[in-house]
Amino acid sequence: MASDVDTAPLVGRADLLKSVRSALLDDVAQGHTAAVFLTGESGVGKTRLLREVGTHLRDAGAVVLTGTCLDIGDASPLHPLLQALRRFDAELSTSHTRTSSAVRALLRMFAEETAGPDGAGALLERVSRGLHLIAEGRPLVLVLDDLQWVDRSTRQLLLYLLAGLGDLQLSVLAAVRAESLQNAHPLRRVLTELRRLRSVRVLDLAPLDRAATEQLAAEVVGRPLTPEAAEQIWQRSGGNPFVIEELARDLRDGRDGLSDTLREIFLARVDALPQPAHAVVHAVAAGVEPVEHWLLARVVGLPETELIEAVRAGVAHRLLVGADDGYRLRHRLVAEVLENELLPAERAALHRRYAEALTSAEAELHQARLAHHWRLAGEPVRALPAAVAAAQEAERLHGYAEAHRHWSAALQLADSPAVGARAVDRADLLGRAAEAAHHCGEHARALTLLEELARAGGMSACALHIRRARYLAAAGRSALAETEYRRALEADDCTPRERATAAAHLAELLLHLGRYADAGRRAREALELAAAVDGSTSEVVLASAALGFSEAYLEDPDAGLAVVRRALDIAERAGRPEDVACAYLHLAELLTGPLNILEEGVVVARRGAERVAELGLGRTYETRLLAIATNGLFRVGQWAEAEKVVAAALRHRPSGADAVELLLARCRLSVGYGDIEAADRDLDAVATVLAGGGARHVIPLLTLRAGLAMWQGRHDLARQAVQRGLTESRSDDVGILAALVWHGLRAEAEAHASRTVAVDETAVRRLRDVAERVARKSEKAARPVRDVVDGFLALCDAEVGRLDGNDPDLWARSVAEWDRRNHPYPAAYSRLRQAEALLARRSRVATAGKLLREAYRTAQGLGAVPLTSEIRTLATRARVSLEEREPARGRDAAAEVAGADELAALTAREREVLAAVAEGLTNREIGQRLFISERTIGVHVSHIFDKLQVRTRVQASAIYLRNRRG
Amino acid sequence: MTEPVWGPVHRDIVDLLADHPADVPAVVDHLTKLQDLLVRLPPLLDSCPLADFNKLYLTITTTVLDGLYDDRFVDPVFLSRLDVEFAARYFDALRLWTDSSPGTPKAWSCLFERMRGPDARPLPSAAAGVNAHINFDLPFALVTTFDHLESEPVDGSDQHRDYLEINNIFAEKIPGLRRGYLERWQLLIDMLNGEIDDWYQGELVEYTRDVAWRNAQKIWRCRHDPTAHERERSRLDSTAAALGRLLLSPLGAFLQ
Repeated sequence: MASDVDTAPLVGRADLLKSVRSALLDDVAQGHTAAVFLTGESGVGKTRLLREVGTHLRDAGAVVLTGTCLDIGDASPLHPLLQALRRFDAELSTSHTRTSSAVRALLRMFAEETAGPDGAGALLERVSRGLHLIAEGRPLVLVLDDLQWVDRSTRQLLLYLLAGLGDLQLSVLAAVRAESLQNAHPLRRVLTELRRLRSVRVLDLAPLDRAATEQLAAEVVGRPLTPEAAEQIWQRSGGNPFVIEELARDLRDGRDGLSDTLREIFLARVDALPQPAHAVVHAVAAGVEPVEHWLLARVVGLPETELIEAVRAGVAHRLLVGADDGYRLRHRLVAEVLENELLPAERAALHRRYAEALTSAEAELHQARLAHHWRLAGEPVRALPAAVAAAQEAERLHGYAEAHRHWSAALQLADSPAVGARAVDRADLLGRAAEAAHHCGEHARALTLLEELARAGGMSACALHIRRARYLAAAGRSALAETEYRRALEADDCTPRERATAAAHLAELLLHLGRYADAGRRAREALELAAAVDGSTSEVVLASAALGFSEAYLEDPDAGLAVVRRALDIAERAGRPEDVACAYLHLAELLTGPLNILEEGVVVARRGAERVAELGLGRTYETRLLAIATNGLFRVGQWAEAEKVVAAALRHRPSGADAVELLLARCRLSVGYGDIEAADRDLDAVATVLAGGGARHVIPLLTLRAGLAMWQGRHDLARQAVQRGLTESRSDDVGILAALVWHGLRAEAEAHASRTVAVDETAVRRLRDVAERVARKSEKAARPVRDVVDGFLALCDAEVGRLDGNDPDLWARSVAEWDRRNHPYPAAYSRLRQAEALLARRSRVATAGKLLREAYRTAQGLGAVPLTSEIRTLATRARVSLEEREPARGRDAAAEVAGADELAALTAREREVLAAVAEGLTNREIGQRLFISERTIGVHVSHIFDKLQVRTRVQASAIYLRNRRG
Repeated sequence: MTEPVWGPVHRDIVDLLADHPADVPAVVDHLTKLQDLLVRLPPLLDSCPLADFNKLYLTITTTVLDGLYDDRFVDPVFLSRLDVEFAARYFDALRLWTDSSPGTPKAWSCLFERMRGPDARPLPSAAAGVNAHINFDLPFALVTTFDHLESEPVDGSDQHRDYLEINNIFAEKIPGLRRGYLERWQLLIDMLNGEIDDWYQGELVEYTRDVAWRNAQKIWRCRHDPTAHERERSRLDSTAAALGRLLLSPLGAFLQ
């Protein structure tokens, strides 16, 4: 039997095999990730190739996990991974106890996972930790077949791991049916984005050519083919190996000519089966693969020996395949052939037997399969509880897309006449289905379900409006959401708590719409309402933030700041960790955002990070707070510190938007340092995460790509990145757009300066148009927005000037803009260019020297290698000495203090001030607290800086905190 | 061995199609290069029916690109993704045709088959391409785009408005259309659709210009159900193919 069942040799794929192997193993650097996606029509040999490569890689010492995605739409989240782990565990021999216990621990983790507040991100982290333990330092390969049926959670996991966020050396090999990609498949976009990365290959598996077809057929037949037979097989198979193999087998067995199509081949084989085997094949077709042996036995009800004989017959006729975990049909074509063979009643009876067998025994995908079989058995009453259980099971693993499908199935079942009479809480089902749809981004569906729920009654008008508003806001339909919140506030049955909630959320919504005055009004209203309700801290925090920001935008920053600080106090007193965390987040965002009080913002963010970690919210909120701190530190020029903070934040292995934010922050540092390899790696990681969706971060990504390309002298790449960015950004994101336009103009100016690349006049014209548009729009924007834009527009003007005479005054203006905002890096860049422009005019050489020295000092302090070297090049060319005139006195003094109490030199008053600085207060706030003028505080602060030998509030705070603890 | 699908420019076209453009400027670049190759394809050369379509499509995509630069659209993120995804389907069809794959959409193959003659007049040829591209490719491109942006096809949304703006561009750029006879290009195509297969059960006139959008919404609703999805695909393919053949028949010549 074996000779007939064994697959034919692999023909015509030797080169492919080699290149896949090297892409997944040999070419992967230590600690990096790689992926190969094989696409091709069904029967072209994808599964075969996966198996072959898997074996090769296993022999080469890799840990290979193999899973298959399922085509039942109601599968469960992460199913392919769970299946792969179980298979792997079953394959492990007893000598691998350590690996085995790691596999079981990971499987146990899945079993024990509960839908906690940390959500899906934490699950991803735990999975990657688990895989780490299983790999034990060996390369890990995840092989996934039928990826076109992958569930959303697994897709996210793949992107997370491939982006390197799991801190795992991992390769992914996956097969996708090309036919599926022709439809509107989500993988299409994912593959378009991924295929541009160096670590990813998308290989199209083409049919065999004529020669390979003949070779394969000859191998199967066991002798060379006649020219006519060869021609016939080539014509009929079109080079599809699966078809070639089957045709050749018929030819060998003398059945040639009987079967024109593959369909007929299989039909003939099914007909030839003995009766028990016939039953077995049909049973497997009705089951969810793989069908376990015990389950098949119960479904067909044959005695053991007869069952085995029947299975053997199915395998011998090449309709079934068997593996350790159960039986499968040999190919989808078999399923299609079998589908028309059974009467509906026969099929329903099979499903019933499956459902009955599964009811009495736990199995993989238990509830999902139960629901599936009971439904197809025509037993909605019994299917319903299983569908509900499956939905809850999916929610437990944060698979809201799958949960939504199970809830929807449950609703359909509940509507069937058989169930009608029974007491089903239809409103409850509707509510849960709507919530799941909302969580997985099916906004329209969530709203439809909510309407149905409204008609069913059982929900107060106010609660309904609030929920509808929430769904609408999530769908980005702000105007409608606003109306709903208003209606909620007007509803008669609104509780005071609900009213506070609606007002707070409305305020937040208005803030995002840029209607600051309205937002402020609503926020005040919300605060009043919340004051009268116990336990409404969350509303207070939210409304305070909306008020704080709206005040900041309306140019009363102090009032706004005070409100947000008060919210933090209230949250601390009330003690709910999430409220405290949110309050810190808002405060840090306010300071580093519109208020541009960066140093305090950084201090608050770092203090907040410590605090939320204590409260057990490290993964989510600590990560976000540290991202804010990193970006603030970057801007104030504390790069070394920023690097430390970002590394600490990434230790939590964040996912999604949080991860993107941090990777971009780290990349910004790498671009500044000129560490091209590190920057490239982070950019690819961001692109990998974004391939799964999320357009908001694309422009910062492209801006960094352009910046990096310019340091490499690749004007073409910089241009491409900017071009793409310009066509994909909304013109109301003025800040982000302004930065991008500057990069574009700088690329053209540098092309001009290099004299090797021609300036793209069309690009320049377009960029200037966009810059003008940005300037126009920002005139109407709030002050803080305008401040950000003005800096970049000054750079834009100066770069345009560089294309035409290079006016030093334009650069001087840019220097002033960035100095005013206290951003040393762009200020240093502008000084370099100003000096360049002055030297080109041979005027004010002394000023140019001074500018260069200042820029040099800043650039060196930052560690900005490419900028430093540009400054040096210019200085050498202009014979300007970059040496400092005054000796550095800081070092000795600092050495003296070390070891002793660093605060000893401070007066009592200065210590008081420093304590307040370390809390993140501004000078004005410290003044208010200590009843002295803001100016006096400024004097104290500068004395403190002198005595401590520091230059920033962050450094001073660090010393204070260190000594206070010691 | 039989002659390669693309004759003397086969290698060049295969190389070009190996690249997958990921942004609108790259799509324009791609179409420009393709145009240069198509007009070198014997026997029809300059009058190659596919070149007629490609030229029109290039003009339209260039206008879209200019529109993106000029702030013409409300949601450029959506529109640029849609444009790339839309074009990708045309390039996919060309790739499948290059491989002589039976999977080549019928909507497209009826035009591709005419590359070797007999010659069809430029306007009906371009129309056949527009037909395949709008009536077959566009709904799927819309669904993929929405899925990627974690958004949905909602009537009256910013995306819907931008989408209709593209229709306007199509209408502006179709040359020599007898306006007295037919108001708009899109209307013509949809009217013909109605004659072949009344898919809209009475909604036809209301939604004529929105056919692809309606179809996208339909596909959106069944996108998790592979069987229903596939059924929808073959339905759209057959309808578009029937219309395409009609446009390329002697009857189509009346357009010009």
